[in-house]
Amino acid sequence: MGQTTASSRIVARRRAFKQARRITLSVVIWAFVAVWYFPVMWMFSTSLKPTTEAVIENPPRLIPAHPTLENYKSIFAAKSNVNIPRALLNSTIVGLVTVAATLLTSVPAGYALSRLQFKGRKTVFGIYVGILAFPATMFLVPNYYIIHGMKLMDTLTALVLPVLATTFGVFLVRQYMVGLPRDLEDAAWIDGCSRTRFLVKIVVPMVLPSIFVLGLMTFLTSWNNFLWPLLVLNNPNNMTLPVALSRFNVGWADPFRGIGPLMAGAFITMAPTLLIFILFHRYLMEGISIGSLGKG
Amino acid sequence: MEKTHPRRFLWELGSWGFLAPHLALFLTFIIAPLFVNTVMSFYNWSLLGRRVFIGFTNFVRIWTDDRFWQCVVNTSLFALYSVPLVIIVGILFALLLNQKIYGKMWILVGLVSQTFFGSIGILTTWKWIFASYPSGLANYVCVKLGLLAKPISWFETPFSAWAVCTLVTVWWIVGFSVLLYLGAIQRIPPEQYEAAKLDGAGPFRRFFSITLPWMRDVLFFDIVRQVLLAFALFDQMYIFTQGGPGGSTRTLVYYLFITGFQRQEMGRAAAISWYIFVLVLVFGLTQLFMTAKSLKSTEG
Repeated sequence: MGQTTASSRIVARRRAFKQARRITLSVVIWAFVAVWYFPVMWMFSTSLKPTTEAVIENPPRLIPAHPTLENYKSIFAAKSNVNIPRALLNSTIVGLVTVAATLLTSVPAGYALSRLQFKGRKTVFGIYVGILAFPATMFLVPNYYIIHGMKLMDTLTALVLPVLATTFGVFLVRQYMVGLPRDLEDAAWIDGCSRTRFLVKIVVPMVLPSIFVLGLMTFLTSWNNFLWPLLVLNNPNNMTLPVALSRFNVGWADPFRGIGPLMAGAFITMAPTLLIFILFHRYLMEGISIGSLGKG
Repeated sequence: MEKTHPRRFLWELGSWGFLAPHLALFLTFIIAPLFVNTVMSFYNWSLLGRRVFIGFTNFVRIWTDDRFWQCVVNTSLFALYSVPLVIIVGILFALLLNQKIYGKMWILVGLVSQTFFGSIGILTTWKWIFASYPSGLANYVCVKLGLLAKPISWFETPFSAWAVCTLVTVWWIVGFSVLLYLGAIQRIPPEQYEAAKLDGAGPFRRFFSITLPWMRDVLFFDIVRQVLLAFALFDQMYIFTQGGPGGSTRTLVYYLFITGFQRQEMGRAAAISWYIFVLVLVFGLTQLFMTAKSLKSTEG
């Protein structure tokens, strides 16, 4: 009896020690994360300050002395040569169209390259892989010329098309499809199922997580894309959010495009991606692991 | 040679049909550009104006341009110190996130979510933090802590401009590596650690003899990926310094941007991109072979 209580006391003490260690470690890490994430909080805090106050206040304050939504109102009402409401709409349209078009092209291609046998498949696949030796920078100048030749300069289509040609989605989807059992087709062919039906009814439901991951990553890439839209867009009405925001680089104290409205715009650009991360980080992590190295 | 059965031929044509939409885009915006790029690099080529064949002149002009070599040095140095930094910080964060701690989801948000934010919002925020005003956050904090005697213009000396750029880049992109590493760490069988614990191996010993070897493939892949990323450095300099002071923060892509799109010398810019290709060729090929290998291993 006595021995049991002694040992259970030891167990309890050990558990308490572990608990204390866990709490201490958590507090230390939490403090570090608060410092590490400070720029994001600073962005939000500045977006709630009147611009003049944000520029001159000394010491700088994290909690705004006179919080206001003026900056958000101003960027949505601005009649300057930057049109934020329009940019928000453009970014959303380009993002959603790119996602839809990527899924419609990459999923069947991934299917063909993983589960269909035909002459030339190996060659095509080899070329798809071989292109990985070329840095993305190689394609800027010629694609600019090609888009110009297609008379697509300064259009939203110019933002969608080149992205669709990337092979990331094809590889990602293929990785999942290759892993499905081989006898899946045998049963389907006997039932007289066509390839399209087989893809839509059987394969797609089985690899749905990968398709979701591809959709998420495509949307984020499109939403954040900067250099290419900067090159091909010109008219303020065609700009996406990052390009429109880069036009705010005029002077911190400018009442319409100064730091207050700029941080409001930055926060609006960031908010959807933060939300996506909070909701779906598990999917993003899996997509990164598999899309990068082909390992599950 | 055996004759293909007509039905078999039609069936194969149908298979091509699944590939066709993506293949058409791939040929138009990936394959064709490589040829266009090659042709352009031998021409004095502006978008609307004349096109004159000038042989290797573009390549020679770039080779003899001091500004080009300055960009090569700038970009290479950046890769040299930013890549190891991202990897070390990435491993530390991944190990942190693998501990038993409270509120892990929010810690993940705090350390990793930045990597999914767009460059412009992030970079303008950091530029504002490093504003030259005395009330700029970085100046205020540094003066308060006694690190600086008086407020400075961070982007007006090459050293501090590069320091800020590196700090911001690590802060911004490390999350992607953290996710990669975390995935690798979580694939390590727990028995490995239990056996090591029984043998009396301490945390450092366990890290170097179990964790690190298991992460080897992922680390190698990530190093290659990040070198390629470093050689694509543009947004930071576009927002922070525009390449200044005196070209000391100009990168290769920035040099290409100025040449091809601000001065509209597209032939010259195409030639620059071939130089970039050669510079990172070893890394590009490594990426190719690693991907080919891992794709093949799943072929079965």
